[in-house]
Amino acid sequence: MFNPQTQKKINRFRQIKLGYGSLIVLITLLLVSLLAELFVNNRALIVKYDGAYFLPTYTAFHPGTDFGLGYSYETNYRELKLQFSQQQNDNWVLMPLVPFSPNENHASGDQFKTTAPSFEHQHYLGTDTTSRDILARLLYGTRIALFFSLGFTLCVYIIGVSIGCMMGYFGGVFDLIFQRLIEVWSNIPFLYMVIIVFSAIPGSFDTTGRICLLLLVMVLFSWTSMTYFMRTETYKQKSRDYVAAARILGASHSRIIFHHILPNILSTLITLMPFTIVGAITAITALDFLGFGLPPPTPSLGELLKQGTANLRTAPWIIIAAFSTLIILLTLITFIGEALREAFDPKKFTAYR
Amino acid sequence: MLKGISKLNYSNSFFLLLILLLGACNNTEDTEKNRDPTETTDNTEQVKAYYSANSTFFSFKHLADLPDDLVWEDGSKLPEFGSPKAIKGGTQYSSLQDFPRTLRHVGPDSNGSFRRWILDDVSMSVAQTHPNHSDQFYPGLATRWAVSPAHKTTYIKLNPLARWSDGKKVTADDYLFSFFFYRSTDITAPWYNNWYSTMYTNITKYDDYTISISIPNVKPDMHARTLSLSPTPQHFYKELSSDFVERYQWRFVPTTGAYKIKTSDIKKGRSITLSKVDNWWAEDLKFWRYRFNADRIQFNIIRDNAKVFESFQRGDIDQFGLNLAEYWYDKLADDHDSVAKGYIHKTTFYNQHPRPTYGLWINSSKPVLNQKNVRIGINHAANWALVIDKYFRSDYERLRSTADGYGAFTHPTLTPRKFNIDLALKHFALAGFSTRNEDGILINSEQQKLAFTVTTGYEALKDVLTILKQEAAKAGLELRIEVLDSTAAWKKAQEKKHDILFSAFGVGLEMYPRYWETYHSVNAYDQAFLTDGSTNPERKVRTQSNNLELVADPQIDIMIDQYRASSDKQKMVSLAHKLDEALFDYASFSPGFKQSYFRTGYWRWIKYPEGFSQKHGSASTQLFTYWIDPTIKKQTLDARKSGIKFKPEIKVFDQYRPKNYD
Repeated sequence: MFNPQTQKKINRFRQIKLGYGSLIVLITLLLVSLLAELFVNNRALIVKYDGAYFLPTYTAFHPGTDFGLGYSYETNYRELKLQFSQQQNDNWVLMPLVPFSPNENHASGDQFKTTAPSFEHQHYLGTDTTSRDILARLLYGTRIALFFSLGFTLCVYIIGVSIGCMMGYFGGVFDLIFQRLIEVWSNIPFLYMVIIVFSAIPGSFDTTGRICLLLLVMVLFSWTSMTYFMRTETYKQKSRDYVAAARILGASHSRIIFHHILPNILSTLITLMPFTIVGAITAITALDFLGFGLPPPTPSLGELLKQGTANLRTAPWIIIAAFSTLIILLTLITFIGEALREAFDPKKFTAYR
Repeated sequence: MLKGISKLNYSNSFFLLLILLLGACNNTEDTEKNRDPTETTDNTEQVKAYYSANSTFFSFKHLADLPDDLVWEDGSKLPEFGSPKAIKGGTQYSSLQDFPRTLRHVGPDSNGSFRRWILDDVSMSVAQTHPNHSDQFYPGLATRWAVSPAHKTTYIKLNPLARWSDGKKVTADDYLFSFFFYRSTDITAPWYNNWYSTMYTNITKYDDYTISISIPNVKPDMHARTLSLSPTPQHFYKELSSDFVERYQWRFVPTTGAYKIKTSDIKKGRSITLSKVDNWWAEDLKFWRYRFNADRIQFNIIRDNAKVFESFQRGDIDQFGLNLAEYWYDKLADDHDSVAKGYIHKTTFYNQHPRPTYGLWINSSKPVLNQKNVRIGINHAANWALVIDKYFRSDYERLRSTADGYGAFTHPTLTPRKFNIDLALKHFALAGFSTRNEDGILINSEQQKLAFTVTTGYEALKDVLTILKQEAAKAGLELRIEVLDSTAAWKKAQEKKHDILFSAFGVGLEMYPRYWETYHSVNAYDQAFLTDGSTNPERKVRTQSNNLELVADPQIDIMIDQYRASSDKQKMVSLAHKLDEALFDYASFSPGFKQSYFRTGYWRWIKYPEGFSQKHGSASTQLFTYWIDPTIKKQTLDARKSGIKFKPEIKVFDQYRPKNYD
């Protein structure tokens, strides 16, 4: 599948326990968050009602009338469960581990306010200021942050690598013009620009739409840094004989760039990847913290951090949960990045090390 | 290194080019407005010409022309407020969430929350409503006055001692000039243009310190209408012209009140400070002498409410509003260290005042929202009861309408629509939204979702919206929450770009509610209706007015016009009730909540007079009756270091608690 060189690097990566272990943990976390609806959700996993089985998790919503309740809005499965257990018939409900959705106000007392972690009420990490489950918000928030940063990295790489490689490869006027453009573009302060542009976008988009727009705006103002590395790397590779050979054999420019040069500069690409991801997670968290990111009530790490700092004295569990998650996430990625760098380091066997 | 420098030059020149290009565009586009800002003009002659061109409105007579049958009053027997024990001096530290966008009193962006500090609560008018007797007046710039319903005129003797904060005398000319100023289109303030053109019929100057003011019809609150008049410094507005908005943007308007703003105290984006006018002319005047005690009031810009609270706990800010339940009960609970040790005092004060109009202001000019059934549905889908019970911990009550708290003028029986999913669904279905999509949100036959953006500038109240959103989803309505900073949200609403706005108007102490500003069609559209009374198909939304619901209904217009023209209290009451019913029927406002008190926390060096505030006081700082005790401040700060305790003070003042009062 891989060429021997790459295989060697992969094997080397696997030998670095810390990084490899972190990767496994992160992938597990990603998978868990992908299936978050099965663990943390106010929709039941299975409902047995009048002899029929329902799996409401991923389907369209079930109005209460589906289960003999008198309302047309989404069934409250927790109440349904309670009701079934009181009726003591064949009907039953299996709820997920944490039976709350991230946006749901569920007060264990009379009021919507912060409550400390409690196993009894199944709020394992407590609730926030409007009695929303913190574990639920954390998990869904992390999912959004992770996939957002992956999407961000992908977009930045596609644009950055293409333009950077072209600049290095074609050189001349093309290079000169793009260099100047990028210099101007990268002088625009990123966070301010994102805040300004994003606030000018009307609020009429739904949450998914707004997340995509935010992604677009962030990519728009951060693809430039990638081009520097790619440009120099390509520049270096371009003068190598294999490029000249490919050229003589009649290979097209795009083939040379993407099939010959790109694999040779892969190590730079991969080494930089974790930093881009970390950057993206930090940026979206910062934006949410400042209140310029995703619209409420979208769960997000930044919003939890903000709540946490605002309720530092009265509800320390919020900041502890959010901050630990962020630290764990960023540490994992940093470990992976460190291991990748080491595995892909061509100078491993040279005297310079 | 060298390369770095050359790079820098490249990008610099690029920027320069950009700026030049932009500049060039600007120049060709608008030369009129870009009049040289240093160029000074003098409109004195223009003003004179205006007076003679409108000679029925502006009259010049002699003292001998005053009617003989006048009954003069001076309000001097009214009880004074404030405390003779008040210590003068010191700096009060406070905060603002956003830097004011302008220091102008009128024009774009001037109607923000900072206005009260330079105008509403500080500047003086002829006479002021007594905060304990809302139908009586104590003297401000006048020494005495005579209200004559027979002449539809109020005669006013001005106090010759009155001075502007720049030392110039306040004379009758400044009152006449008010009408020139507020009627000028240069100030881009249509509300003022209208008010000063229609609400008064004549102003007469008898001598430099005697004037009279006439109104078209004798309203039940004729006193308030005429005595609330305040002068406008003619010498300051000499340069009034089409560039008013830019020219006067950051100039402090001379005031008759106690506080001015020095140019050196305007630190844009960081802080702004009020300082006491040197030798303020009203310093020893009854009703004014025990107030405005602090020498300076410094506002630091702290955007985040949580940070403001932290600053308050540190003692960097002297007072903090505790109206929100989470602050009163949790964050500054009675057993909080500083409260228990007596460093910070907590007070609840029950007052009687028209209530700010918290609620959802629905923009009925937007597609879908222009259908009445949708608006009624939204009203039924807004679960305010839950917000009040669970989030505000039953501290608040449901607001009844935008005219709540005006005694007889408030509709006695009309109650807002209750949260009711079935009724909401019924009305949404009548508007064509009858099927739920897979998320449970209603859609119509064109697959259009029943989804609206709710905009707010209240960062501290965004949780209210998240609760409403969750509940509205049960009725198949999706609310998309947009939290902007307060100024941006207000700007959006003033430009009428919102779908639904969650906001409130601060309401002054008035005898009866206003309808024209918020509900008359002239404030909704330019030419809302054609001459035959039908809807103008090409009407344009009118921006920069307070008709945030874009209500335009010929019947409502007629009632508002009658209400404004009426001089009979009973007729006005019945019109107000009819208007409330019509507006209830129009369903563009979903009344939120109100509170019948204010709560505040303050460090023990801030002292309040006995009784804390006045019956109609709307906020603890409104009347400036508090003072700063420097000895206690030092004592408290020392005690905090050494841990010495004082007697905790948590007080409730319910002497004015409304009983049968809404």
